[in-house]
Amino acid sequence: MTLCEFDCVSKWYGPVIGLNDVSLSIEPGITGLVGHNGAGKSTLIKLLTGQLRPSIGEVRIRGRRAWSASAKRHIGYCPDVDAFYEEMSGRAFVRTMAKLHGFSNRVARERAEDVLAQVGMTDRADRPLASYSKGMRQRIKLAQALVHDPDLIVLDEPLNGVDPIGRVELTRLFRELLARGKTILISSHLLDEMDALANRILFICRGRILASGSLEEIRALLDDHPLKIRIATSRARQLATRLLALDTVQGVELNGDDELLLEVHRAKQFFASLADVVTREGVDVERLQVIDASTEAIFDYLMESANHPR
Amino acid sequence: MSLEAVLYRDWSGRLRPSWLACWPIARTGLLLVLRRKMFWLLLGLALLNFLFVFATIYLKAQVASQNPGLARFVDRVLSNVTGTGETYRDFMFAQGTVTMLLLGFAGAILVGDDMRQGGLTFYLSRRISRWHYVVGKLLSIGLLVSLTTTVPALILYVQYGLLMDSTSYFRENLGILRGILGYGLILSITLSLLLFAMASWLQKTVPLVMSWACIFVMIPALAGLLRRAFDDRNWQLLMLWRDVRLLGTWCFGGIDTDRELQLLLPAAVIVLLVCLLSMLAIVPRVRAVRVVQ
Repeated sequence: MTLCEFDCVSKWYGPVIGLNDVSLSIEPGITGLVGHNGAGKSTLIKLLTGQLRPSIGEVRIRGRRAWSASAKRHIGYCPDVDAFYEEMSGRAFVRTMAKLHGFSNRVARERAEDVLAQVGMTDRADRPLASYSKGMRQRIKLAQALVHDPDLIVLDEPLNGVDPIGRVELTRLFRELLARGKTILISSHLLDEMDALANRILFICRGRILASGSLEEIRALLDDHPLKIRIATSRARQLATRLLALDTVQGVELNGDDELLLEVHRAKQFFASLADVVTREGVDVERLQVIDASTEAIFDYLMESANHPR
Repeated sequence: MSLEAVLYRDWSGRLRPSWLACWPIARTGLLLVLRRKMFWLLLGLALLNFLFVFATIYLKAQVASQNPGLARFVDRVLSNVTGTGETYRDFMFAQGTVTMLLLGFAGAILVGDDMRQGGLTFYLSRRISRWHYVVGKLLSIGLLVSLTTTVPALILYVQYGLLMDSTSYFRENLGILRGILGYGLILSITLSLLLFAMASWLQKTVPLVMSWACIFVMIPALAGLLRRAFDDRNWQLLMLWRDVRLLGTWCFGGIDTDRELQLLLPAAVIVLLVCLLSMLAIVPRVRAVRVVQ
């Protein structure tokens, strides 16, 4: 059974449309959710976590409606808001959240200790939340999302305000959760982190899903935007001449004597041809870099296409 | 730290029913209020009244057993504390006033902040529905009301009975017990619903206190003026606090005059109407977390 499925879901807030006829399923792995402010990310997340009901369509978690208690059992939500009870200690907060999930006092205590250790907050959990730094608050939010051992973990800006070391630790934690079979959905504006984290990206704009899939898959579909590739080689001119003969290459720019900047389409075919040329000519390629296949670049292209449709 | 290192365990046990989550919500709300010094000041005020009545009951019992002659004098001086229904009714009326003040200030902490700062998200993403949240919050307000009115009144009732020579006090005054519980219930339900509704819309302390004061001070003052201007006592029905008190008096079996009896039914209807309107006002506030303004 699919863990999470959106079936023709639309959501209106009076005359404003939050989500427009969205159908998708969230697959195992880490999925990134990318979109501008007001694109519908929050609506999608709140529908997914059962805090909103769709106006049309259905959101199902393990076959159950997302707002039902049995569906919420499978979801852990780490919101972007910092709305805690400031006088409460981190430990008390996580325990309370565990109790809200139906754990007995003893189990809630044990689970809270487990997740506090996981997010590295055990020794600081007795301090009031008001005294926590932004990064510590993120960790506590993450702890409360994990406390009931959910299958799907929804993280809204989880790395926001976390220091670089903390980011590395939390990223490692996400990967470990993934290795344990958890599915993770991350909404973040830090697109470079999406590159490193997500196996799959959902691009959203004006309440619609613009594209979904791995970055490579989406990039390959963007025919209007030739892939930009930088190649460092000592025989740049010779290679440029050979590559210009390929029909997949749209443009070649020499950047000094040892660097080429290419614009290509049909990337797969180009790379196969490139390998042939390099082998045949005996060219020594020092570095090959795709410079616009990042989440940010693809997002920009998608937004451009969405704003100026043909 | 790796998951293996911290012995993270997958959970496969049985979970308790969602309704039991109302208690942690209520408990959390109550603890939030009790953590603030300002509320301890108001609770101290309520406690002062309780201690005064408690000490009076004790003093009268001691004097009655040791010096019956002096007891008549003490009875005359401290005539308010007689162990009848009126004693507890008046005590709860006085406690209710402090409670009203306490709730006016506590509303933002108990409910308003959840709406204003987005804390509702944490609740609604749990394995509970919005109704569990509402019941939990109402329970926390109700508990606060009970802690300052019903519970102290019950303690005084038990104290009075225990200081009597026999247990006949309890047998003969079961009506008082019904009165305490009945009035306590009316107070808890009415104030909980009204506070939740107002706090969920107004959210911040200052507008909430001002509106609360408007309902319990301004409107009664206006009703008093209208009553005098038109010489019609029905205007008094606008005084919600008076209506609740009238119902309380009825619970204690203390309605003596025809005039009060005539006002009882309209007062009950008004209180019921306030509760219903409050419920209607609560529903859209917890229907969903607001995403767009």
